[in-house]
Amino acid sequence: MAEKKELYLGYSTDKAITPFFQNWLEFLDQEKLMKSKCGKCGAEYLPPRQHCQKDMSECTLAEVSEREAKLYSYVIVDFAPESLSSKQPYVVAIGEFPSGLRLTAHITNLTSMPEVGMKLKLGFDKSPDGKMVTYRWLV
Amino acid sequence: MVRRVAVVAGGHSKFGKRYDATMRELCAEAYKPIYDEGITQDRIDASVLSYAASQFTGQGAGSALMADYIGLQEKPHLRVESACTTGTASLRAAWGMVAAGLYDVMLVMGVEQMNRVSSATATEYMSRAGDMRWEYPYGISFPAFYALMASRYMSEYNMPHDILAKIAVKSHFYGAQNPKAHLPKEIPFEEANNAIPICRPLNLYDCSLITDGAAAVVIAAEDRVKEFTDRPMWIKGIGAGASENMIQDRPSLTTIPGAKRAAKAAYKMAGIEPKDINMAQVHDCFTIAELIAYEDCGFAEPGKGPEIVENKENYIDGRIPVNCDGGLKSKGHPLGATGVSMTYEIMKQMRGEAEKSSRQIKDVKYGLAHNVGQSGQFVNVFIFERGW
Ligand SMILES: [Zn+2]
Repeated sequence: MAEKKELYLGYSTDKAITPFFQNWLEFLDQEKLMKSKCGKCGAEYLPPRQHCQKDMSECTLAEVSEREAKLYSYVIVDFAPESLSSKQPYVVAIGEFPSGLRLTAHITNLTSMPEVGMKLKLGFDKSPDGKMVTYRWLV
Repeated sequence: MVRRVAVVAGGHSKFGKRYDATMRELCAEAYKPIYDEGITQDRIDASVLSYAASQFTGQGAGSALMADYIGLQEKPHLRVESACTTGTASLRAAWGMVAAGLYDVMLVMGVEQMNRVSSATATEYMSRAGDMRWEYPYGISFPAFYALMASRYMSEYNMPHDILAKIAVKSHFYGAQNPKAHLPKEIPFEEANNAIPICRPLNLYDCSLITDGAAAVVIAAEDRVKEFTDRPMWIKGIGAGASENMIQDRPSLTTIPGAKRAAKAAYKMAGIEPKDINMAQVHDCFTIAELIAYEDCGFAEPGKGPEIVENKENYIDGRIPVNCDGGLKSKGHPLGATGVSMTYEIMKQMRGEAEKSSRQIKDVKYGLAHNVGQSGQFVNVFIFERGW
């Protein structure tokens, strides 16, 4: 069996990794954003859940094919929690895909003030050492 | 058979940066006026200790320490925790025990000490109340959750930031008249509207304070109330609600669904309507939270909260006076003490005992407390009725 790559989500994390989450992170490392789907009722989750919220059945991963979304809401974090103070200010956005699935991530390439309703594109990023992987929004 | 329960006494410490005290001394400060009224430890059957976070002080299992410090070491006690709604969650737990007949008289003690760590560290601890796997890694601080609501509200209803600044001006206007307040100073509108950004669109004056303090109330069963007071404040309605944990999963960001559910349940139990409420203490951890509370509590239709602000209906002589003690914004927000402090304030207003007549609300028959945990994951709404 291949050695698991050491991967963590986002910019600051608690590093509590489960096999399900590790598998999901490895897809993310290949720039694939996965949702999860309940094997019993078909409910979909983004971010993914290992267990269906409705019936506790196991979910399996499926790729999110959508690449464009709309800005549902945003915040410009000027005063950050201690763990992210070196990155402030940064913009956290909730993007909504046409399917209705939503994703909370940073917008990393803004050149003007964000506006609710503006178009967002899904992007990916990783730290120089390759251990921190993330999805992000681009304008 | 559920017994009626009343709030019969209360005490309140000075709120602020209390480097002169730790949680135990703050508890003593809040219990002292209750003790001085003659409600000595032997008259209290049990207590609920309300504090939200051990991280700030490092003290584990603090209820034992605090109960012991105020002389309740031989009386049963327990701790309740529900983030910023811990205070009213504790009152709800105590109400249940007294209503059911387990105890006749209980002390609910709310306390928090937050200033033993830096603001950045306190912000860090509070951000960990978000989803540790999916939200925390993106640095979504406590104000950031409310800023996400504010951005959406401002966009959906085309609301300028001015409205939020006016809420801050009102809170500080009353906080300046409250000797227990953390930041008892008035602020001009221009300053409130143009303060340094914290989590845009929210600025410094949109945010509540990181505060140390304690507040306590004593509740008693119906047939014991007369031993304690001839001015009981009856717990008339209790509603609790919950909302989705991740803020992105909420169907709307311009309301807190759990708050609506909690308010509806409280009105139903009390058998009254929003128009019957004479004053409200709402959870203004951020100015946008107060605005949304007007709507969630039924004082305004969705999107119409700003009219309450524009018409100053939230001042003491207005249609629905709100947070005329300064609120979390100016009085301060020691997490576990906040809901108990709201209860204390309603009791004092009903009794006509506001420290200054300039912030005394006339003839309060019904008061409402709206206490929100985190960004709405838990909410408690209480309706109190004057009993004399
Ligand atoms: Zn299912």
